[in-house]
Formats: sequence, C-alpha cells, structure tokens
Amino acid sequence: MSSTVIDRREIAESYLGEKFTLRSWLLTTDHKRIAVLFLITITGFFFVGGIAAAFMRWNLLVPEGMLRSDETYNRLFTMHGVIMVWFFLVPSIPVTLGNFCIPLMIGARDLAFPKINLMSWYLFVTGGIIELYAMFVGGVDVGWTFYPTLSTNYSNGFILLSVLGVFMSGFSSIATGLNFIVTIHTLRAPGMTWTRLPVFIWSHYSVSVLYVLATPVLAMTLALLFFERLFGVGPFDPQLGGDLILFQHLFWFYSHPAVYIMILPGFGVISEIIPCFSHKRLFGYEFVVWASIAIAVISFFVWGHHMFVSGQSLYASVVFSLMSYAVAVPSAIKVFNWVGTMHKGFIRFDAPMLYAIGFIGLFTSGGLTGLWLACLAADVHLSQTYFVVAHFHYVMVGGMVSAFFGGLHFWWPKITGRLYPEMWGRAAALIIFIGFNMTFAPQYILGYTGMPRRYASYPPKFQVLNVMSSAGASVLALGYLLPLFYLPWSLFRGPRATANPWDATGLEWQTSSPPPTTNFYATPVVTWEPYDYKPPERLEQRDYHG
Amino acid sequence: MAEPAQLPGSALTVPQEFQYSSLFHQGEAAIAGIWLFMAQECLFFGALFLTWIYCRYWNIAGFDAGSAETQVWIGSINTGILLTSSFAYASALLFIRAGGERGMTILLGVAAFLGIAFLCLKGYEWHLDFDDHTWVLDPDFKVKGALQGGAKLFWSFYWFGTVLHAAHLTVGIGLVAYVIERARRGHFSAAYHTPVEVIGIYWSFVDIVWIILWPFIYLIGRAP
Amino acid sequence: MIGRIIGLGFAWVVLMALAGGEFLISGLRMPLPNRPLILLPAGVMVLIVVFVFMRLGRAPLIARGFAVAAIFWLILLLGLGSMDALTRNLWLVQGYNPH
Repeated sequence: MSSTVIDRREIAESYLGEKFTLRSWLLTTDHKRIAVLFLITITGFFFVGGIAAAFMRWNLLVPEGMLRSDETYNRLFTMHGVIMVWFFLVPSIPVTLGNFCIPLMIGARDLAFPKINLMSWYLFVTGGIIELYAMFVGGVDVGWTFYPTLSTNYSNGFILLSVLGVFMSGFSSIATGLNFIVTIHTLRAPGMTWTRLPVFIWSHYSVSVLYVLATPVLAMTLALLFFERLFGVGPFDPQLGGDLILFQHLFWFYSHPAVYIMILPGFGVISEIIPCFSHKRLFGYEFVVWASIAIAVISFFVWGHHMFVSGQSLYASVVFSLMSYAVAVPSAIKVFNWVGTMHKGFIRFDAPMLYAIGFIGLFTSGGLTGLWLACLAADVHLSQTYFVVAHFHYVMVGGMVSAFFGGLHFWWPKITGRLYPEMWGRAAALIIFIGFNMTFAPQYILGYTGMPRRYASYPPKFQVLNVMSSAGASVLALGYLLPLFYLPWSLFRGPRATANPWDATGLEWQTSSPPPTTNFYATPVVTWEPYDYKPPERLEQRDYHG
Repeated sequence: MAEPAQLPGSALTVPQEFQYSSLFHQGEAAIAGIWLFMAQECLFFGALFLTWIYCRYWNIAGFDAGSAETQVWIGSINTGILLTSSFAYASALLFIRAGGERGMTILLGVAAFLGIAFLCLKGYEWHLDFDDHTWVLDPDFKVKGALQGGAKLFWSFYWFGTVLHAAHLTVGIGLVAYVIERARRGHFSAAYHTPVEVIGIYWSFVDIVWIILWPFIYLIGRAP
Repeated sequence: MIGRIIGLGFAWVVLMALAGGEFLISGLRMPLPNRPLILLPAGVMVLIVVFVFMRLGRAPLIARGFAVAAIFWLILLLGLGSMDALTRNLWLVQGYNPH
C-alpha cells in the first residue's frame, strides 16, 4: 500500500479502528492507544482537582470562610495539590502527547518497551484509585508537601494510603521516562540525526532524565515517611534525634526538578506550535535545545530555594539562591527564541497559536516573579504567602495547562482523524487566558500585601481581591469546561482531517490521520532539517483545512 | 506484536519486537534500559544513604552504640556469599557467550542458591535481633539512657535498609529462576541470551547495594 | 574461555581480600568522625563489580553514559544535601526543653 493514497479505508485500518473491543484497549501495547487511555485518565483527575479548587475559591468569598470547618478547607487544598501535581501536571503532556508523538516524530513504529508503557498506565491508575479512595474516605490535611512532623505525628488524615498512591504514580513516571530515553536513543529513523530532532523530542528527553533521576528520591522519601508514621521511628523527627529539614531536602530534590518536569514538555509543545503557525523556521534551534539540556541539569542545583526560611544553613541558602538565578537563563533564552520566531513571521491565529501566545505571556510573568522568590531577602517576606501561589500557578496553570490544551488542539486531528471546531477552540483559548489572569493576578497583590496561603479565613481588608479572584475562577472553569464538550463532539461531527491539516513539517504529519497501527507504511528516511518552513509565495493560497 | 525471527545458525525462533531492525538492535536497547534502571536505583538508595549521613552526623555516639549491637559475623559472611554469587553469575554469562548452555544453567543455579542462602542467614539474623531487643518498638530496647535515641535511629535504618535489600534480592532470585526455566526449554544460545545479560546486571547491582550497606550497618559503628 | 574464567576468579579473590581487609580495618581504633573512611575499600569493590562482573566498559556507549549520570546525580544529592548539615548554625532557644 502506498502512503500517498489516503482514503476512508485507511481510517478504518488505523490504530483506532483496528479492533474496537474493551479488551483490545485495556491490553494494548500500542503507544497511541496507551496515550489515549492516559488522556482519558488524566482528564478525569484534572476535573477532580478542579472541583476541589472551586470549593476553595467558594470558601474564600467571605473573610470568615463559607465552609463550616477549617479542617475541610485543609483537606480540599491537599486534595487539589496532590491530584493536580502528581495525577495531572507531572504526567500530563509526556504520557499523552509525548507518548503519542515521540515514536511518530522520530520515525519509529513504537516505543522501545511497549509492555512497560502499558505497565506504566496500570501503575498510574492503581495509584490514582488508591489516592482517590484516601481523599474520599476522609482526606489528608497536610498539604501536598507532606511535611513531617505534621504528617507523621499529628495529622489524623489518611496519610499512609495517600503516600502509597503517590509512590505508585512515581513508578509510573519512572517507567515512562526510561522508555522515552531508550526510545530516543535507539529507535530514530534513518537520517534522523540528533540535530534533526524536533525540540519536542529534546524537551521530552530532558523531562525523562528528570523523571528517572529525581523520582526515585521522592519514592525513597515517601517510603521513609511511611515507615516513620507507621512505626513511630524518627529519621525526620527532631525529638527522636532525626532532622526535619532532611525531609525537605529530599522532598525538594525531587520536587524542584518536578516543576521542570511539569513545564519542559510545555516548552516542547510551544516550540512546535509557534514555527508552524508563524510559518517560519524556529529561531536559534541549537539554543533552544541546549536550554532544555541546561534546565535538566541546573534544576537539580536549586532545590534549597524552597527552604530559605526553614532554618537550613545560611551558606547553603546563598549557593541555592545564586543557582536559582542561573536556572532562569535557559528559560529566558527560550522565550526570546519563540518571540524571535514570530518576528516577521506569517502568523495565523488558530486555537493552538492562541494558547501558545497566552503561554508566552503567562509563563514570562510566572518566571519573572520566580526571580523575586529566588532572592534571599525578598523571599523571607514573600514565602508562605499568596504571592507564591500566584507565581507557581502562572507557570503551572497559565503555562503548562495552556501548553497542554494548545498541544491537544494541535495534534487532535492526528490523534482522532477529526478537526475540532475552530471558533469554539479560539473562544476557549481566550476565555482561559482572561479567566486565568482574573483569578491569579489579584493573588500577587494579596500575597505581596501579606495574605498567607493555606488559611481558611482572612482579615476583611483582603475581601475585594479575593472576590475578584473567585469570580475569575468561575470564568476559568467555563474555559476549561468548553473543550470537554466540543472536543468529544468533534469525534462524531467534526470534519475529517487530512494527513497534514496545519501544513507542518514534522514527521508525524507525513503519515495518515489517524496513523496506522505500525505508524508508517514504510520506514521513513529523513533528509531535511527540522522546522523546514519556507515563506509562502502568496498568503491567500494557504488553505489549511482543505 | 511479536514476529518470530530466525537466529543465525540455530533452528530456534525467538521473539523480535516489530519496532526493532534486528535482534542485536533489540538487545542493545534492553541493555541500555537496564542500565538506566540501575541509575534510577542508585538515586533511590542514594536518598537512603543521605538519611544515614544526617542521622549519624547528629547522633554520632548513639548511632554507633546501636551499630555495636549488630550480628557482625553473619553480616560479613553474607557479604562473602553475595560476592560469590555475583561471581557465579558472571561466569554463567561467560559460558553462554561461548554456547555452553549446560554450564550456564548450573552456574545460574549456584547463584540463585547462594542468594537463597543469604536470605536464610538474614532471616536467622533478624530472629537473633528480635531476641536481642533491637526491634525499634521493643519496650525493653537494648540500648538505654542518653544514647537510646541515636541507637533507635540506627536500628530504624537497619530494619528499613535490610528489608529493602532483601526485597530486591527476592525479586532477583525470582528473575534468575525465570531465566533458568527458559534456559531449560532451550531458549538461549551464544547468539541470543539478552535476558540473561539483563538480569545479570540487576543481580550484580543488588550485590553492590549490599557492599555499601555492609560497612554502613556493621563496620563503621563497630568501635572496639 | 578458561582464561576469562581465571580472570573472573582473580577478581573474586581481590574482592574477598578487600572485604576481609575492610573487616580488619573496622576493628581498629579511630576517631568516630573518621570511621566513614572504612567505606573506601567498599568503593573499590563497587568499581570491580561494575567493570568486571557487569562489564560496564563493554556495554553500549549510552549505558556508560547512564552510569556516569547516576554517579553525577548521586554526588549532587549527597554533596549538596549534606552541605546543609555540615554548615548549619544551631541556635539555642532560651528555656526550650524538648522533654
């Protein structure tokens, strides 16, 4: 069969149509189907975490709190944090878009270890079910960081179960990262040299390094925490001779790189979308690539900036502060390069591009406020306030979730073979951008003027900004709900997508939409450089939806 | 997804996954994968070792007083047993690379047997430790007075570390048994024996963890 | 074949000798803070196992890369992690009694 002739028959023979039984999906080793399984799972977790956030914003409408008990509020923000961090943000782009696109982008027929890929999903689902069970039978009230000795000696929540759930999802991440690294090393198509890899691949390579080398430290930390709570022994309990701050070191050795786990795949997605919709080669490819690698390494040197007020060594704080400034450089390089790519480009404002532009603005805001927090003196004033909350939501939600939605819209035609409704896509992108800023911009001011985080009530002078933030959250929720309706709708009613609806250059667009089970009918041979976009002769001739 | 592939110079068919160009290609990916997994394990145990550093640094006398109560002879004999089993496994690999299936199977059996011997001795040691009142929740904990806190921290590390290592070893014995079973069915030859190589790397890694745990637990605190 | 087995056997003898030596050194008197030096022979033993039994030198290039990465990140964790404990200022709180 020739790959140039694409007709309806091939769609029936695609990975979606090959066999459509529950058993064939649950026991599949096809990376594309596993990506779809992950997509459905993490969407569920995203909305569970979102509902917890909605209750929190509802509670903060009035100074004394709407909820009857402050304990409930503690459980809500823990649920929001744990679910969103470990069951949505950490896996989000890699296990869905990464899982789907990495083999396609490098011209491979599957990942290196397909069974381990399926195992990763089962570990994730098992961990997720344990976590949800812990959250719904009573919840956990210690925050997503599980700091002892609150979590070991004083909390009456379901800490053990919750820790077990996170532990299992961690091994799911390790399995995925290991698979990606070996795949990128061993399964590239002929001609797909390292300098021809799309930035998406480089980003996922960096993320996988973080997955594999940071997550085991979290696993051991949580295992020790489990042991300590179960038996009352004390590696983390100062009264028993242990060291509280040791837990924080171990935890942030994972969790600081983990914020890069959450944002690096977003960088990868944005680096695909911007050249495509600017119809221009990515500006400074080598710089973007090396910035990804630099982030993967330097992000391990900076964890102590979460602990400036913990009582750790002052000398350690100085070193960590300086390194934290250094890690901002590669992120800034990327922002410059994306903007440089758009400069004098032939820009089209389709939904993925709107998300990408939103990403640049929100990520820049979140990134720059990160520098305030890296500064030792400023951090003493700002830590444990809403300023921190706003900062990381700008990066994690404004940045990462925008990138996730941008990527999802961008590859939706490839994944499903259907086009999403463009007007709805653009509307959702705009509503998310506006709602996001309405929610979190007031929190910068709240934090700067002294409102601490993780409190169920607040002094009346903060009410106006809190109400603004809660109002914004409802706009944001509307923005997130829209795709939940129009994307599934497009599965049935959307127009069929061609192999390359965006006129993009990546290898994944060379095969049919949706791709066949073996990805390519013949092994592709790569002879071109990445982002090989030529300026169009006449703009009017470009009709992507043709 | 597995298509049978003919081996050079053999009537056997072994599974080659469809994403690889050759069995050699598949084997290289598997070796790379297991090494990456070992890198992951290094960091996993690394966090435990950092805990050891902190706990001993803050409670140096109590920690060593706890360590002085260990069964140092059993621990040291176990070190010899594991080193020998690693040696047996490495020799088994030499045999299969030269096509000696029978020699490989016997040596793998020796390696697994030594692993089981380690676990039996370890179990006996745990039994002695219990009787010696060194279980951390023992109301009549052996070390008393000012040093008790540090000693209890040491014994927390001891129980956590040895149980974790024994769990890794148990998994390893299971994997070696799996390889022996496949070897008995004639799956391996000089041309194809990737699973034997991969599991060998894991087996030696479990040995390495013990090489580090042994001084941490038994030797450093053994002040005369 | 025979030569290689003898080579492995030699490595095994060296390992056992190092283990024995480490055991004997641990019986010596030395100041408590210096006792972690007993780990040095263990480090050599790890290298022998990695290069002779696990044949890291003959593994694919990327496998060697992974091993280097593991050591690098391990040093980072242990080095930066223990830096805090080694340089921390302990402030005595007036009137604080933990028990």
